[in-house]
Amino acid sequence: MRGLQRAVLALGLGLLVSVVVRFLGGDATVPSTGGWRELSGPDLR
Amino acid sequence: MSTQQIAVIGAGILGVRITRELLGPRAFGESPNRSITIVTRRNDRLNLLRNQFGSSVSMLIDQSGDAQLPDEITTVIIARAAGEQYKIAQQQLSLGRDVITTTDDPVEVQRLLKLHASATSVGKTLVVGASFAPGLSCLLASHASTLLDRVDEIHIARHGAAGPACAAQRLRALRGTATDWRDGSWVKRPGFSGRELCWFPDPIGARDCYRAALADPLLLVPVFPKIERVTARLAATRRDRVLAPFPVWLPAPSEGGIGALRVELRGERAGEREWVVYGALDRPAVAAAATAAVVALWFGSAQLLTSSSVSPGATGLAGLGATSELLAELALRGVRAAVFEGSQGS
Repeated sequence: MRGLQRAVLALGLGLLVSVVVRFLGGDATVPSTGGWRELSGPDLR
Repeated sequence: MSTQQIAVIGAGILGVRITRELLGPRAFGESPNRSITIVTRRNDRLNLLRNQFGSSVSMLIDQSGDAQLPDEITTVIIARAAGEQYKIAQQQLSLGRDVITTTDDPVEVQRLLKLHASATSVGKTLVVGASFAPGLSCLLASHASTLLDRVDEIHIARHGAAGPACAAQRLRALRGTATDWRDGSWVKRPGFSGRELCWFPDPIGARDCYRAALADPLLLVPVFPKIERVTARLAATRRDRVLAPFPVWLPAPSEGGIGALRVELRGERAGEREWVVYGALDRPAVAAAATAAVVALWFGSAQLLTSSSVSPGATGLAGLGATSELLAELALRGVRAAVFEGSQGS
């Protein structure tokens, strides 16, 4: 019985941690080169 | 030069902004002659409209929803909520008017495209989905395609929504079923699937984007008959995803924040695999209104009168054959597009 309680507790904790990690997420990798250039006159001919 | 008579049906955020765009002093390098009528279903909007536009715009009340417009009207812009535009478009087309719809509901877009034969028979044009996405997204895809010899894939992503009706449609799209074009057939996928990190123009930056029931592929595939893949995604947060099944208790703001578009094309240029990424950054209601208004003004512009006239039928903006002119006029009105130049796969 005690073993089952520990297993349920461990599963619950694991689930909680995974939910927190899932929703916090991490920073995306920023492109190292390049950028946006506005389309101007010559582009729109 | 004759006066172009334009009616705007719908006086919500989008309808009022479209009217304001139509009143601009210049369009396509000229000072056009035009007369504008705005149609509303609500009496309480009349005072607000009178305060905004005074006598420069004629106003009509249409409580029955069956707008009876003066005979002189030649072009009609429908700015009602998505899902309410088909019946009006069909009616106005049968009366021999060019019609511009702003819907982004894929079911309604499909129905509108089926009016192609009716539009052709009366010799008029039905423009489907002249808003932010679809609309501006179709113009960007059409323009980007000129940079490639062959286009294999088009991937569109959108961030943001305009007014409350647009926010409701965004939620319906995310809860709905996406229709992607893949290897010559339509593939149904559940909304909120296929998460992809998409980079929008700054300051929006990177956003998670999910499949959703969007109309862009339905309008782009007929214009690019040899295309292999067309997809459209909406930016959403993890919180949106978790709360999606539950009813929304808080009303959407009267106007959303800054929105963005990302249009990526993959294909071939000079025998090598190439990609082109276009973007746009603006308030969705502002960009949508400018797009619809510019298309209406284009119908009446002298440019159109001197060149071959627009072919009748139902089409999205990419099929109008005036991509550069429309984008240039939009740029003059502050709706500017950008191209991503740099590392592949960003």
